Amino acid sequence: MFTDKVELKDFEKMDPEYQDLLKRVLTIQADCEIGGPHLYVDTMLPTAPTKVDQLVVARTAAEEIDHFRKIARIAGDIGTDVSFVLSTPNQKRYVEAFRGKITTWEDYAVFGMMIDRIGHYQLDEFVGCSYAPLERILPDIIKEEAGHIDFGTTKTAELAAKDEETKRKVQKVLDYWYVKALDMFGHSGSKRSERYRYWGLKRRTNAEARRQYMEEVKPIILGMGLELPDPNKGRLYM
Amino acid sequence: MSQAAHTLELDEHLKEVVQALHRAVSYAMPHTGEPEVAGKAIEDCKEILATIMEGNVSEWIKN
Repeated sequence: MFTDKVELKDFEKMDPEYQDLLKRVLTIQADCEIGGPHLYVDTMLPTAPTKVDQLVVARTAAEEIDHFRKIARIAGDIGTDVSFVLSTPNQKRYVEAFRGKITTWEDYAVFGMMIDRIGHYQLDEFVGCSYAPLERILPDIIKEEAGHIDFGTTKTAELAAKDEETKRKVQKVLDYWYVKALDMFGHSGSKRSERYRYWGLKRRTNAEARRQYMEEVKPIILGMGLELPDPNKGRLYM
Repeated sequence: MSQAAHTLELDEHLKEVVQALHRAVSYAMPHTGEPEVAGKAIEDCKEILATIMEGNVSEWIKN
């Protein structure tokens, strides 16, 4: 296992595999950060239930743009221009979960609860990582993602408790996002994942991270009186 | 390792965009009971975010 810390000045001397993996993970992270706002800004900013909700949508988008900015800066410093993801059509996003549109408040709430939580898991992989500039930008990003998760979780709970029809709508979108979330961890036997771990760019195996996520969300979902979705139905990456 | 073209300009531009959004939201949050104030801030955010969602980076850098 590679256990050194790499600074920007060290990067060009690193093994080509390390360079490629870091460039790849930064590009995908940047795509995911801006991919979120592209899912919901034009539909949810005008239609969120209250003025406070609308302002929270705007603030969330601002924070995701700032996360993109910080990741793009790190990528740019190692010669990788990720600005193309700012104009990538949704259907071309790296991660399947971002290839669509969020059109209802139930969708937005559950997305925050489930998918921003995956974002938190991914950022957590970078804590203690070998690339020091990436590690240094994490604290504020992780704190803001925690805020997005909290908002989504709170709103999902409120919606699930509102009435039977709303609860059914929440269950339907939960069934959708739960499977998307599990797929975001990738294949359990991924060789690339092992190389990320070797180079200190990731901490857990895909299977372990997915298992921890499932354990974390189970009591949250059940506590809202919702059903735990089938974890295998419609999955692309086991 | 050479820095990618326009890294600093894009960073600066997005920093300003994010600050503008936060200013609008922070100003409006205590005034959500005043439709004109909150409504104007939301419209400002919509306008700023619409530009970002277009992703026309070359226009931003040019300016």
